[in-house]
Amino acid sequence: MSQLKLHELTVRHGDDALVDVADLSLEAGRALTIVGESGSGKSLLAHALMGTIAAGLRVNGTMTLEGAHYDLADRANRKQLWGTELALLPQEPALALDPTMRVRGQVAEGSPGFRKDHASALRRADDALDHLGLGHATGAWPHTLSGGMAQRVTYAAATIGGARVLIVDEPTKGLDSDALDRLADLLSEHVAGGGLLITITHDLRLARRLGGDVLVMRDATVVEQGPADQVLTAPEHDYTRRLLAAEPSRWRYEWMAAPASDPSAEPLVLAEGLAKSYGDTELFRDVSLDIRPGERWALAGPSGVGKTTLGNILLRLTQPDRGTVRHHAAVSNGKLQKLYQDPALSFPARVRLADAMRDVVRGHQVPEGRVESLMGTLGLPDDLLGRLPGQVSGGELQRLAIVRAMLLEPALVFADEATSRLDPLTQERTMDCLMSELSRTGCALLLVTHDHELATAVADRHVRLGEAAPSHV
Amino acid sequence: MSDTRRRLIASVLLRRTGQGLGVALAVSVLCFLVVRQLPGDAAYRIAAGRYGDDLVNAESAAAVRAELGLDRSAWQQLGDWLLDLVQLDFGRSLVSSRPVLAEVGYYLLGTLQLTAAALGIAIVLGGTIGVVAARRPGGVLDRLTTAWVALVRALPPFLLGLLLILLLSVHFGLLPAVGHGNSSSLVLPALTLAVGISGLIARVTRDTVIDVTNSEQVQFARTKGLGERVVLVRHVLRNTGVVLVPYLGAQAVILIEGVVVVESLFAWQGLGHALVHAVFWRDVPVLQAAALALARLVVAINTVVDFAVLGLDPRPRRKGVLA
Amino acid sequence: MRTARRSEPSDVNTALVRPDAIAETSGRWSASRVLAASVLVVIAAFGIIGPLMLPDPATQDLSRFLEPPTWAEPLGRDDYGRSVIARLAHATRLSLVLAALCVGTALVLGTAAGIASAWFGGWVDAALRGLSEVLVALPALLVVLLFAALAADGSLWTLYIGLALVQWVEYFRVVRARSGLVLGSPAVEAASLLRLGPVHVLRRHLWPELRPLVTTLASLGMVTCILAVSTLGFIKVGLKPPRAELGLMVTEGFPFYDSAPWMSVAPVLVLFLLTACFLGLRRTEVTT
Repeated sequence: MSQLKLHELTVRHGDDALVDVADLSLEAGRALTIVGESGSGKSLLAHALMGTIAAGLRVNGTMTLEGAHYDLADRANRKQLWGTELALLPQEPALALDPTMRVRGQVAEGSPGFRKDHASALRRADDALDHLGLGHATGAWPHTLSGGMAQRVTYAAATIGGARVLIVDEPTKGLDSDALDRLADLLSEHVAGGGLLITITHDLRLARRLGGDVLVMRDATVVEQGPADQVLTAPEHDYTRRLLAAEPSRWRYEWMAAPASDPSAEPLVLAEGLAKSYGDTELFRDVSLDIRPGERWALAGPSGVGKTTLGNILLRLTQPDRGTVRHHAAVSNGKLQKLYQDPALSFPARVRLADAMRDVVRGHQVPEGRVESLMGTLGLPDDLLGRLPGQVSGGELQRLAIVRAMLLEPALVFADEATSRLDPLTQERTMDCLMSELSRTGCALLLVTHDHELATAVADRHVRLGEAAPSHV
Repeated sequence: MSDTRRRLIASVLLRRTGQGLGVALAVSVLCFLVVRQLPGDAAYRIAAGRYGDDLVNAESAAAVRAELGLDRSAWQQLGDWLLDLVQLDFGRSLVSSRPVLAEVGYYLLGTLQLTAAALGIAIVLGGTIGVVAARRPGGVLDRLTTAWVALVRALPPFLLGLLLILLLSVHFGLLPAVGHGNSSSLVLPALTLAVGISGLIARVTRDTVIDVTNSEQVQFARTKGLGERVVLVRHVLRNTGVVLVPYLGAQAVILIEGVVVVESLFAWQGLGHALVHAVFWRDVPVLQAAALALARLVVAINTVVDFAVLGLDPRPRRKGVLA
Repeated sequence: MRTARRSEPSDVNTALVRPDAIAETSGRWSASRVLAASVLVVIAAFGIIGPLMLPDPATQDLSRFLEPPTWAEPLGRDDYGRSVIARLAHATRLSLVLAALCVGTALVLGTAAGIASAWFGGWVDAALRGLSEVLVALPALLVVLLFAALAADGSLWTLYIGLALVQWVEYFRVVRARSGLVLGSPAVEAASLLRLGPVHVLRRHLWPELRPLVTTLASLGMVTCILAVSTLGFIKVGLKPPRAELGLMVTEGFPFYDSAPWMSVAPVLVLFLLTACFLGLRRTEVTT
């Protein structure tokens, strides 16, 4: 039975401890999942183990694999294990693939006998890709793959060398639930085949699917560990409890009570028979919907089906190929606002936030002190305004974007994946801020998300794209 | 070959053909304006150039003027002028009376020799320096490279040429300074051009190799278990080329500018040399043909570069790339 | 990543801290940029004050043929007995003023055209882009040479027009490309939803992004202009003698390199310092 053990692992930057974990062991046939927020040190742990950690960081500790000891301070001693014993599934599959080489070659080159026998390595690559349902894509260039496909290709490339220890680093970024399920199946298959699996993630759904053991990290240390079904259902530590409560399906807030909707009110946005294609690909057709004051709409569906495009058409930022969008006078002149996926890109990058805000205040005669009072309500310190957008964390900046949008007292806010890049706890906080403000002012919401749970928690009217025809629920 | 591929090739050809035509039109109209500008005494000057100072008189000057057709309407002349261009009829040199096409063909050969030699030296020199410097960013060799690149960039081709003449020709007597014909006379002009360009190439190669080596795709290739050499050959080199080749294309203009200067400095029988002489003597037919040939050379280099990029990089082309 | 509390390589998306944004606010000048700027100030002072104080550069005194440097004449006299330092001061002034005029003109025209092209799109963009496609394939020296051929006697005007004409394309292309990115960004979309108007977009979005690019291009442009003028002088198709011009001075001095090296070394040194300092003034290397 193969086994991997870590002993007294620390990673330091100067005097700061970024990872401090006493003992850790994992066995073949049982998955280990490390969960936690950004900055908790979980990814560093994986890279310290692999020997791919950034040069400026100091690592201490030992690793035992198959009875052999490795000093983790020496980054180079595990290179001989790469591919054959140790494999890493990288975070961003799209960036990990060489854009100038066809998929097949990139998988085949990891095969141990590749340099001596190209032909049989290529055959093995074809088999591996075929097994993953990518038999048709062996000759494809990486840029033509979807996110989920690219991930399966990197999985094939990482595992073709036969490594038993597989380290998976934050694999769920931008994956919709179907792709997430496929990934979980793959990883479970690796474990079932006698492999060792360490998964780093902030996605509790993945942790639940994989089972085995779960380890919760916060501020460089492990706060709780144990079997997945125990930790993820009856957590002992307060932090784990908060982490679990941050899942949209468990939210309990006042604003979640469905707002009174008046079907006789004039619609703010009236869309009829919308259709849009990009090139030869049809995104959607025959979409009709009316958004009335105070309503909460969600556009959900897997990535790449045109949710954002539909939202932009409804805001008249993009022209539809067919169909019409009419706006009520109540949404003219700044009463229609949008929140973006990356808040840093929605502010002018080289201008202090105070200056960006002042232009809004002056342009719309916003009462003195409104910015500060809104910021106070949303829990933002005043001194944030003295910084550039790039110097503020994503969660705080998104709340600042909410402040900016609310200054104009909008009738409809379009939130375009506004929290999908945030940690679960930050997402919860941001959504709470947004929805509290919206329900206070009776503003309508149009939410675009690939997260069904979030859509269910926040909205009561749904449009689901990506099926044969868009369906209203 | 796939459909998108064919469409890409067609779009490159279309774009470059359009550019070539536009360039030809611009150069040709400018040359026409030069002719219109020619003052009376320029006819004398041309006649002097052609027949020798002793034989210049009103008659020969008038002959020159008649040859240039200065007595017709401007639009008519421009029309004729462009028609001649379309028929590739460049006329005869006003100075030597030989057919311009033959003369420029001869000069083009000289320029191509020089350009090819210079580019070859520059790529080998700059590429090597860049790759070596990239091995240890911030190390001694890297700093030396930075200093070298800065020094070379601050020296315009004619100063660099003078410096090389002084060093290699005057002080050490190793190479002939000026002239054309034997292979050793090619060394100094080619070296002058190459040293200037090599600084730019070294800089970009260094930055690109460092970027590519640290990229996630190369990191992933390593963790697949590939050795450093395999990673270099299978991933680093081609991805460096994807950045470097378009950059070379963008430098074609600088290269051609250097060619004009260096040829004049070393009296190398090429298009630049011919051009400068033609400007000096107001020999418009040669001026036009030489300028056209140089501009077309830039477009041709860029066309080759475009195709090289298409071959190296399967991704759809980003907008707004290069010259 | 310096300000991120815990910079974990995998979690850059939430840290959202851009190193360039930080470098921008600290805005400190590196030692080499300070050095470059000070040398430029000295040369500019020489070019501006020198011509006012030094003797007439055109006065010939054949009896003082190739006089070596003295305290009164730090750079000696040339083959016509003219004061080399006086000629050098005039030549420096000519180079700097002509280059500044060309760069200024090209910068204003190119930036305006670039913004207009990205802002309006359509036929404005198509026309300007077509024009720039042609000009960008023409070596600057070639165009200036043709303009030099247009003028009977190498006048300053043709040089100015030729150089400005060639250079605006650089600004146009860079400004158009960057403006297109900025105007298509979520930030500008948000600004339009906030109804903040074109002045806000120009002042807060476009100009802060364009300023570093344009200043970098301008210092490169100064180098290009100074070198183009002197190169043309050097190959005898630019400005004509007896005008004091750096390139001409190099050609005229070169035959006397053995007996009077100061004649050619002095203008070469000024040229080299000018190019090196303008190149050193740039914040970063841009490879356009």
